[in-house]
Amino acid sequence: MPDLDLTFVDRTVDEVGGGPEAVIPILQRLQEHYHYLPDEALRRVCALTKITPASIAGVSSFYTQFRHRPVGRHLIQVCVGTACHVKGAELVRDAIAKELHLKSGQDTDDDGMFTLQGVACLGCCTLAPVVQIDDLTYGHLTPRMIHDVLRDFLDHQNGTPRKAAAQHRAPARFEGEIRVGLGSCCVAQGSGKVRDALDRVLADSGAAATAKRVGCVGMCHQTPLVEVVPLQGPSNLYARVQAEDVESIVLRHFKPRGVWKRMSYSTRRWLDRLLTDEQAVEPAVQHAINPREGPVCSFLGPQKHLSTEYCGQVDPTNLDEYLKYDGFAALRRCLEQNQPQAIVDEIQNSGLRGRGGAGFPTGIKWQKVRAVAGDTKYLVCNGDEGDPGAFMDRMILESFPYRVIEGMALAALAIGAREGFLYIRAEYPLAVRRVREALQICHERGYLGANIFGSEFSLELSVREGAGAFVCGEETALLASMEGRRGMPHLRPPYPAECGLWEKPTLINNVETYALVPWILRHGAAAFAAYGTEKSKGTKVFALAGKIARGGLIEVPMGITIYQVVDEIGGGVAGGRKFKAVQIGGPSGGCVPAELGHTRIDYEALAQVGAIMGSGGLVVLDDTDCMVDIARYFLRFTQDQSCGKCTFCRVGTRRMLDILDRICAGRGQQGDLELLEQLSRDVCAGSLCGLGKTAPNPVLSTLRYFRDEYEAHLQGRCPAGKCKDLVAYKINERCIGCTLCAQNCPVNAIPMTPYARHKIDLDTCTRCDTCRQVCPEQAVYVE
Amino acid sequence: MPTITIDDRPIDVPVGATVLDAARQLGIEIPTLCFLEGYKPSTSCQVCVVKLLDNGRVVPACGTPVADGMRVASETPEVHRLRRTALELLLSDHVGDCVAPCVFACPAHMDVPHMLRQIGAEDLQSAIATIKEDIALPAILGRVCPKPCEKGCRRQAADGPVEVCDLKRFVADRDLASRDPYLPPCRPASGRRVAVVGAGPTGLAAAFHLRREGHAVTVFEAREAAGGRLRLEFSEEELPRKTLDAEVGVIFRLGVELRAGTRVGVQLPFAALTAEFDAVLVACGAVDKPAVGAWGLAVGSRGIETRAGTYETNRKGVFAAGNAVRGKALVVRSVADGKEAAAAISQFLAGRLITPVQRPFSSRMGKVQPGELPELLAGTADLPRRDGASYAVDAVSAHEAADQSHRCLACGCQAHGSCRLERYAAQYGADPGRYQEGRRAFVVVNRGGSVQYEPGKCINCELCIRIAAESQEGLGLTFVGRGFDVRVGVPFHGTMDQALGPLAAKCIAACPTGALYLSPARELVTLQTPAVRR
Repeated sequence: MPDLDLTFVDRTVDEVGGGPEAVIPILQRLQEHYHYLPDEALRRVCALTKITPASIAGVSSFYTQFRHRPVGRHLIQVCVGTACHVKGAELVRDAIAKELHLKSGQDTDDDGMFTLQGVACLGCCTLAPVVQIDDLTYGHLTPRMIHDVLRDFLDHQNGTPRKAAAQHRAPARFEGEIRVGLGSCCVAQGSGKVRDALDRVLADSGAAATAKRVGCVGMCHQTPLVEVVPLQGPSNLYARVQAEDVESIVLRHFKPRGVWKRMSYSTRRWLDRLLTDEQAVEPAVQHAINPREGPVCSFLGPQKHLSTEYCGQVDPTNLDEYLKYDGFAALRRCLEQNQPQAIVDEIQNSGLRGRGGAGFPTGIKWQKVRAVAGDTKYLVCNGDEGDPGAFMDRMILESFPYRVIEGMALAALAIGAREGFLYIRAEYPLAVRRVREALQICHERGYLGANIFGSEFSLELSVREGAGAFVCGEETALLASMEGRRGMPHLRPPYPAECGLWEKPTLINNVETYALVPWILRHGAAAFAAYGTEKSKGTKVFALAGKIARGGLIEVPMGITIYQVVDEIGGGVAGGRKFKAVQIGGPSGGCVPAELGHTRIDYEALAQVGAIMGSGGLVVLDDTDCMVDIARYFLRFTQDQSCGKCTFCRVGTRRMLDILDRICAGRGQQGDLELLEQLSRDVCAGSLCGLGKTAPNPVLSTLRYFRDEYEAHLQGRCPAGKCKDLVAYKINERCIGCTLCAQNCPVNAIPMTPYARHKIDLDTCTRCDTCRQVCPEQAVYVE
Repeated sequence: MPTITIDDRPIDVPVGATVLDAARQLGIEIPTLCFLEGYKPSTSCQVCVVKLLDNGRVVPACGTPVADGMRVASETPEVHRLRRTALELLLSDHVGDCVAPCVFACPAHMDVPHMLRQIGAEDLQSAIATIKEDIALPAILGRVCPKPCEKGCRRQAADGPVEVCDLKRFVADRDLASRDPYLPPCRPASGRRVAVVGAGPTGLAAAFHLRREGHAVTVFEAREAAGGRLRLEFSEEELPRKTLDAEVGVIFRLGVELRAGTRVGVQLPFAALTAEFDAVLVACGAVDKPAVGAWGLAVGSRGIETRAGTYETNRKGVFAAGNAVRGKALVVRSVADGKEAAAAISQFLAGRLITPVQRPFSSRMGKVQPGELPELLAGTADLPRRDGASYAVDAVSAHEAADQSHRCLACGCQAHGSCRLERYAAQYGADPGRYQEGRRAFVVVNRGGSVQYEPGKCINCELCIRIAAESQEGLGLTFVGRGFDVRVGVPFHGTMDQALGPLAAKCIAACPTGALYLSPARELVTLQTPAVRR
């Protein structure tokens, strides 16, 4: 290898600083530059800074983001989040490995073109299963599509860079705006291309409308979503719009401007059509949906948008729009009144509880930090949302950065902090970008910085990027990470409220919690407390995904039942399958069976049925989902994400996984369920932090409600037909001998026998499910 | 001063004290592994858990500050179960044997590796003492034993087991051939008298060990000479009578009395023994059931019935061992029985409760994987067995014997006896196999350096990492990796010696298990170990 140019290291250290806490930002920059962490570069860092070799070796091996070996030119990340898992992410991953001819244990192909790795959750749960190649996202994948996906990616790479969208200037005569949702998952579904097309059509046609990007609309199942909002008359919503549909949508509502332009435009289109033999279609009509009736109405009807107020209406980083909708009004009023205790009281009276999962009363936490004496206090926004199957924090940060900032400013005012940080997962690049942009604008326009609104109050906020460790969602681990250490939790007490960041009193709240604060202070505690149940007030945002007809991001009042969420909002289980259970709360939560669907969304009610509110992942499972496999899936996740500190979590979760692995493989033994149950309880009791204490929940709740499935596995059966070692693919007499299965089998386990019933060689078969999917006669079945 | 209660016992402790401090003041022993006085608790091993009765939380005692009115449960079945689970989880990920497998394979549990080390140092005087701790008749067994110890030897998987039995015989033969063969020290006279019925391997071994305990022993033998079945079952070629007589002679030289030609029940009524002696051991070999029944002893299908592990018969003060109980067994089993029965009788004579013989706690490495052999063989003599070549005293030199003993892989743990994981596991009855499923590969880091590290025995207590960070001279240590795969590592591929610098001895002393130790080659160098209080 040629000598590495280390001047970048020197530059980085100059920019980032050389204190022990700089280690993670430095490593992140080095990795971005070199694509991995070369030893020489790390030694250079140690030579230039106060960072010790032990620190750099420990930190760089703790976080998933960092790599010590060179990677392929392109990085393929297979999302292994919950929704992706239940929709076959593992099969997709196997298919990619096969396509790249990766041997077991190998992650980069022989050409050094692609590196394949799993990623905890890309937060695009409604597109499951999802794969991200560099910055391109592919959704709704099946193993069969992999070959084409890789080719498409390479074509995209080799092709001429996409023509920059024609610059569209705001028209002089404004007739309305066209909104395009541009959250990360919408972009993955193609809304970026829709936006480009829109710009082009508007520029070419001169229609008197502006295109506006807005944040997440929540209707992920309908994306890309385009809303046409004319100045007069009702707005129109178009779902699943593709770039080629844009033109007809625009022209349906807005006329090309000026006679000459109109004529030239229609002539050109006429010629185009003549040349390409394109039918004059009206796609606009087939994509139109009505938000006031039908499915969209059911989807939106029961929702109450507080933290996601004005969703789909405002440009995320446009401060003026935020101001237009009462943005920073609460902060302005509180600064004028200058009664910090009144803010704490208001929050306390509202009954707001932490939305990060545990549900600790927010007001009490604020009061504690406020009560601690000391000049220096910090506040932190925990945006390290790592639960597979949850993406509400990402959506809020991407769509409503100003709301979070205002919430933090109010909290800072209340507790007496002058500096704060937003700790955001590095896997959420768009969220990081938008928050940084919003922070900069706030600083420029005096909404942050010294003497805000001319008051005594000053506040500095900045972003810290996580580096890929789920455990950093635990507050003490998060602080360790911010201080430049391995993200290992410590025993509480002391709580961060007394001894937090750099041993100063620190307030840590979740993104959604902060986002609710401005609404509460604008409308009053009573208005907030009017929603919800006795002990769970207000609303909660959920990521509704899995086997559901209408997945998406929803904000519902507490107290709504699971049935209402699944059936009314979600439109029930997709594909006519049977609703079996809903997994609530991710790896710390549990599976609530369909029979308990009347359970209310409420901290206590959910805990009682063995789940938790959690951060808000809600994954619907149907009768093809194996509950043992689900339990194992979550345990594999927590086991992989355990920091490795305490015995119960480090070894205990591994041993639980060993037992589940052997049960799923048909090697379960008599007494395994009792052993698993007892060990689960001991891990709950004995683990040091919340990760370990809750890791057994998915196991315990499935053992509680679906013990018969576990017992079936002990007898060598997987009732849902999911566990590879316990099922066989077979072809029945419906087979017409079309050979499709044989053609598509990736391992040639089906000999081609035209016009005769096909047969699967079970020794070769990898249970990839492709044959079942391609069979036109549904002759392939699982036994 | 806050007052708290532990197991309902109140105690006043200073502000800032931990639950562990309070328990120690009360004399309650809470086990700790990762805790070291003077260091901030790492609260990682979770072996010291206690339960806070007011909120039901289970917390590590070492890191939990006391609060006034706190009520703590420590010695309860629930808390003990959790501690046991923590220990069992640590053991499920523990690669190593507390005690070498050969020791368990030998029915008499002789400390084979210790003997081999002494032979390796050509210190045969010490070697015979080690042997005779457990085996009263080594020269005889060296000829008649089918060598179960060798079947337990790990080196079997490579180029054949260490010739344990032959080496032992060599040491014993050398001893017998010397001017004054080894006589173990005996305790002062206890004033108690024990009758042993039968001078076979069981009776002789029992007499030997009882005598060492200071008891007066009389052996009753029906035949004219001692030796029992050793004289009947083995030919002169297999077991020269000269060797037999010489080794048996040593036992009588210790002061054991022999009454040959006295068949108990014929020449002497059994009742006379029970009347005259404080304890009687029946070791007469396979028994004539009706005759023994007439002595008032319960008899089963094999022989005399005894309580499991204590060698007690149904008659108080009457013990039975060897083939009198088993019907048929290896000579080494009989020798082992004699030793164990002697220990039981000594306890009985001292008026103590007899503790049944128990297999000592030991973590087991289990089967060696082929890939692990090079690691296991590293540092041992690359030498074939002498197979078939004579180990007769004049055919092999002490030097050659030493070379052969260097073939030993030293499977046992350096920390055996001082390891706290081992101690607490035994105390809490932890089952090392409960959660075991596969295991890590056996690895020794920094072979050839002065400090060696066995990741397989590390419990991630973090003490060496913290201690190493106290000095700027070393490279330091860190945890590497995450989750189950976390291990202690040296930055930038450095060596353990570079990492620890001047603090090696302190780190080794702090290691709660046998994960960190001085390389065996340097063991002879006396190290100045700073006093570290746990």
